[in-house]
Amino acid sequence: MRKDIKEILSLDSLKIGYFSGKNENVLLPPLTASADSGELIAVIGKNGIGKSTLLRTLTGLQQPLGGEIFYSGKNIRDYSRMELAHKVGYISTEIVRVSNMSVYDMVALGRFPHTNWIGKIEKTDHEKIMDAIEKTSMKRFCRKFVSELSDGERQKVMIARILAQDTGIMVMDEPTAFLDIAARYEILHLLHLLSGSSNKTIIFSTHDLQMAISQSDKIWLLLDDRLIEGAPEDLMIAGAFDHLFDSSTVIFNSDNGTFSFRSENRGTIYLDGKNSKRYWTEKAINRAGFSVSNEMTSTYIILPSESNSKWQLSAKSIVREFKSIHELITCLDKEVMST
Amino acid sequence: MQKELSVDLKAVRNVRLIFLALLLFIVILLILDIFLGSVNIKASEVISAIFNNSNSNYETIILKFRLPKAITALVVGVALSLSGLQMQTVFRNPMAGPYVLGISSGASLGVAFVILGFSSNIAPESLNGLGNWILVVASWVGAGAVMLLIMVISSRVKDIMTVLILGIMLSSGISAIVTIMQYFSNETMLKAYVIWTMGSLGNLTSGQLNVLLISVLAGVILSLFSSKMLNALLIGENYAGSLGLNVRFARAVIFICTSILAGSVTAFCGPIGFIGIAVPHIVRIIFKTSDHKILIPGTILMGGAIMLVSDIISQLPGSESVLPVNAVTSLIGIPVVIWVILRKRNYSGSF
Repeated sequence: MRKDIKEILSLDSLKIGYFSGKNENVLLPPLTASADSGELIAVIGKNGIGKSTLLRTLTGLQQPLGGEIFYSGKNIRDYSRMELAHKVGYISTEIVRVSNMSVYDMVALGRFPHTNWIGKIEKTDHEKIMDAIEKTSMKRFCRKFVSELSDGERQKVMIARILAQDTGIMVMDEPTAFLDIAARYEILHLLHLLSGSSNKTIIFSTHDLQMAISQSDKIWLLLDDRLIEGAPEDLMIAGAFDHLFDSSTVIFNSDNGTFSFRSENRGTIYLDGKNSKRYWTEKAINRAGFSVSNEMTSTYIILPSESNSKWQLSAKSIVREFKSIHELITCLDKEVMST
Repeated sequence: MQKELSVDLKAVRNVRLIFLALLLFIVILLILDIFLGSVNIKASEVISAIFNNSNSNYETIILKFRLPKAITALVVGVALSLSGLQMQTVFRNPMAGPYVLGISSGASLGVAFVILGFSSNIAPESLNGLGNWILVVASWVGAGAVMLLIMVISSRVKDIMTVLILGIMLSSGISAIVTIMQYFSNETMLKAYVIWTMGSLGNLTSGQLNVLLISVLAGVILSLFSSKMLNALLIGENYAGSLGLNVRFARAVIFICTSILAGSVTAFCGPIGFIGIAVPHIVRIIFKTSDHKILIPGTILMGGAIMLVSDIISQLPGSESVLPVNAVTSLIGIPVVIWVILRKRNYSGSF
């Protein structure tokens, strides 16, 4: 299936921020970036750098301090509030609490830009609403009140609402914040699905770097001095994420996209074994502060295999066996401490 | 899909049925309100007074007193309830209402300026023509000023309770100002003002009733126009804006509408409490919806009905004494408000 890919949004030296009194309070250096139709874009940056401000500016809820935003080649300044609502939908971090509002009514609000002066739901509106509810698999909750739903379900309803709004672009400010892990993956999976099958451009901010790297088509990385855009893998290779953490305790591993804590190296250990047992044992050893050597060392561990179901540690002429990684690490800690 | 649609149709039919029942209820209440009163008049006399020109004392009571009073009750109920509904949505505060947030006090300050501030001749009973409009406009301005203040406060302070307490402070402050004005005014002005504050549905001249009717009708039409905006505002101004609503325009429309509705009533009937806050909740309980396409007509009907009930009760049918209507509305409204507070114990931030 070939999708018709075209540029749907572009930012040209966009300056975002607030007016405080008469002074401009510019948050970031001028931003230049673009988004194509059907792309899932993750906006990444540390707290307070201006992710929410950028997203609010994109949706027209906040005025840019300078530079331009183009929707389908037309400047955002030339759109009326209502025209813009046909182009871009928005989910904020604010939790909506309304009593007596059914899921259907919430999703129906998405039809606001399309209905007449009194907001009458016509047949086409009804079909769009039901379609959005089905796509987010919320049909069995249709008549329930929004206030009775779990956090994850409510977030799905909010997504159904902007689906019903029928915009090419959806902007979401931390849609997976305050959700449990299962709901997080479900929402992200849904976003992935919508960007693919419904050809929506979804721009969302997140703190979950690993999730963003594994699922999104593109990343807008907000750094103090610039915006870097590209496929997550491009940014990994360029080592762009290293700038994200100037903290001395966390290291981002560009090889596999994981985090680890920086700790002093307590020695090197050779591991004899392979497969998943090797992967997880290596992790545990790293956590304990040892690095894994590819060459034989005086301390080495033989991993469980067909012939032996136990971990075998050889160090300083002692040989001991363990039933679990936990026992192994506990002993390793003690052995090294005692020397 | 077919099944879903039929469920919708059934819900729509139910809503229409309740509307019809309420309308019927209002008609019955209107008739009851005319038939019952502190003077015992036989039903046959009432009918002949309405349909024949008998020129009896009864006819005076029925046509000059009871009928206008019943109509006033209906209009007052509609206006206060509607302004309460709009305030609750626009402030996203279940405890909002013209009385508790001090809008009625603001209106009474406007009235006090007219009655106490100018001449002793502008007492409500002696007002007519232009004077009525001066009184009502002063009331709108007073209501609007407080409404504006509350809007500014609630855009800064998100906590419902804080806004509520500030509203109470505001009305106390306004009462203090009015008291000072009373202190410096002469006896006739004072008497006129004190009578006005007692709140009554029965003291309106036909000219005043006309002004009230026109103002409330304008407010009702404006509120029907605002139902779509109110629906969007339910989920907050940011979301409403992202849906294409011009939030400033919407706030202005609702601001004008509420000031007219609450202001006009207060101008002629004095401050009447707890109808504006309680009726929208009763309507939400009955219709189980947040959709203003249903809530607005529902509130109009329910507000009118409850105010008529209050008026009937206040006349204490069968006895010769009359209760202040404000006491009756408070006794009806306060239990509802308490119920709402207890039902959502943790309702800060929620609607």
